[in-house]
Amino acid sequence: MYINIGIISVINTHGDSMPRHIVSGLKYIAAVNLRKKGHTQKKIAEILDMDRSTVSHYLNGRNVSWTSIEIAEVITNFCPKDFMILTYALLKDREQTRNIIKTCSARRYEAFIKDSCIGCALCVDNCLMNAITLDNLRSHIDPEWCFGCRICETECPTDSIEIKEVD
Amino acid sequence: MTIGLVVHPELCHGCGNCVVSCPVNALRSSEIAGGKGPTDDVEIIMIVEDGEINLRNSDLCGKCGTCVETCPVDAIKLEDVE
Amino acid sequence: METTEIIEDKNITVERTGEEIRKLFFKNELCASCGLCEEICPVSAIEVEPTGAMVRTEQESSKINIDETKCVLCGMCSCICPFDALDLEIDGESIKDKEEYPKLIKSAEIDDELCIYCKACETACPQTAITVSRELPARADLVTGEIEVDKDKCIYCGMCEEMCPADAIYLEEQIPTSDNPEVASDIIIDEDKCVYCGICKRICPEDAITEACRICPYGEYEIEEADVTGSSIIDDELCVNCGWCQEICPKDAPTVTKPFEGELTHDDEICQGCETCVMVCPCNVFSFPQPSKSGEKVPKLFKDERFCIYCGACEKSCPVDAIEVKRTKVNYTPTKSKAWQNAFESLKS
Repeated sequence: MYINIGIISVINTHGDSMPRHIVSGLKYIAAVNLRKKGHTQKKIAEILDMDRSTVSHYLNGRNVSWTSIEIAEVITNFCPKDFMILTYALLKDREQTRNIIKTCSARRYEAFIKDSCIGCALCVDNCLMNAITLDNLRSHIDPEWCFGCRICETECPTDSIEIKEVD
Repeated sequence: MTIGLVVHPELCHGCGNCVVSCPVNALRSSEIAGGKGPTDDVEIIMIVEDGEINLRNSDLCGKCGTCVETCPVDAIKLEDVE
Repeated sequence: METTEIIEDKNITVERTGEEIRKLFFKNELCASCGLCEEICPVSAIEVEPTGAMVRTEQESSKINIDETKCVLCGMCSCICPFDALDLEIDGESIKDKEEYPKLIKSAEIDDELCIYCKACETACPQTAITVSRELPARADLVTGEIEVDKDKCIYCGMCEEMCPADAIYLEEQIPTSDNPEVASDIIIDEDKCVYCGICKRICPEDAITEACRICPYGEYEIEEADVTGSSIIDDELCVNCGWCQEICPKDAPTVTKPFEGELTHDDEICQGCETCVMVCPCNVFSFPQPSKSGEKVPKLFKDERFCIYCGACEKSCPVDAIEVKRTKVNYTPTKSKAWQNAFESLKS
């Protein structure tokens, strides 16, 4: 899979601890977004797998490096596939990746499954967001979780998936 | 894996069983079916020349295995040709 | 997520691990090289080796090849295989047990009420899928009579023993000695074996045997009808639903449902009588007719479509394209998936 080379070199100049800093940047953005949506600090801590005091610090602008937040912001503006792959590489946890991506991306997508879908479930296995399920030998993509990475679309053996961005 | 017709002339006794039994040869030439051999230049799969088997047009082969069964010395085989 | 392939003893397993574990199993022994899996595979991952070569000649490879880099483990091949040589399991459960997957409607059953255990089906079944076992009543239960040897009259000549068709008479022979100058010590009649036919009585030179059959003078009403018990079992794994049992049964006990309907044509002009189809057909549809007298012209090949399941193995194997298999109907359980429906329907010619 393709990973944006530029950002990797930026990350590398900051040594081993850099991934952790970027993760905190991503979590900061996610926490702020979740707060805007009206979630309590307790709920935010739960979703992002953080302790409540860190959430509280983040929301008050403390204990975060602004450089990390800048980098994190750059990442969130990647094309969805790169954003996702990089986030997953940083977090190494599928559930957390899903939550970060869902809260940090404002874009919405809709999926169209064609009649030619054979229900092989390759897309189900490929989807990092766990957005795809099978029903009666046909894929169903949950727009709530589809983040537009289009991996399913490119990998589908029968070209049965079409992902469209919704305005 | 691609199974195709392979001949081993060094093993061949030149009996001609394969040439005569081959249904594709027989269909293309009634002379061959009768065991007389082609007197014209009809395209056939295999032929015995100077007592040795020669593959002429293996692309015509339907890979049915009839010739393999009739060969007394395993000089013609259907095997992996890849 | 990873797809791997293992070939062991010509059997193939393709496995994909991910959200669920999908395993495709291929059993080489059950495969008839008919080519239906290759035809239905939506990603062209299956290649079936030449049918004649696989059946007629020694081959070290499997009858089919599955390209694991192409296979998406959708299961279509497993649902279309009329011989159940392929099976896809998802998390350990065969998709043939899952309702959403269409399956070929095919079956063969023998009605125990009607079966008389004559074994015709067992003999005819091209796949030796039928086992008939039967228990016959004791012969003694079907006859009744009386038999006696007057041992004072008997000279132990042994003629009755030699003639008895039921091996029911036995002479205890001995070498005569001066103190016991007899050729035998006793004559024994096994009444469990005796059928009261009277041959012994008629051959005896000394009229030493009295015998009476009670059935002959009194008719059959005194004898109970013979009770034959047994069982006829069809091995579903081996059965190809060809219909031989159904056609040959004198009692209409078997019922066979075939997966495909269609038409089988054979061009006797083009046919060169190579016998490939005869050997390839899993249903013994074809045979070479034998002339009853010399000089009689018989057709090159005989076929009986009653036994055909329209799998297409013969058509695929014929080196001179003398055979055509047309499928007019595919019998399968309903599916909501358009793609699967189309795939099944596409097998009609």
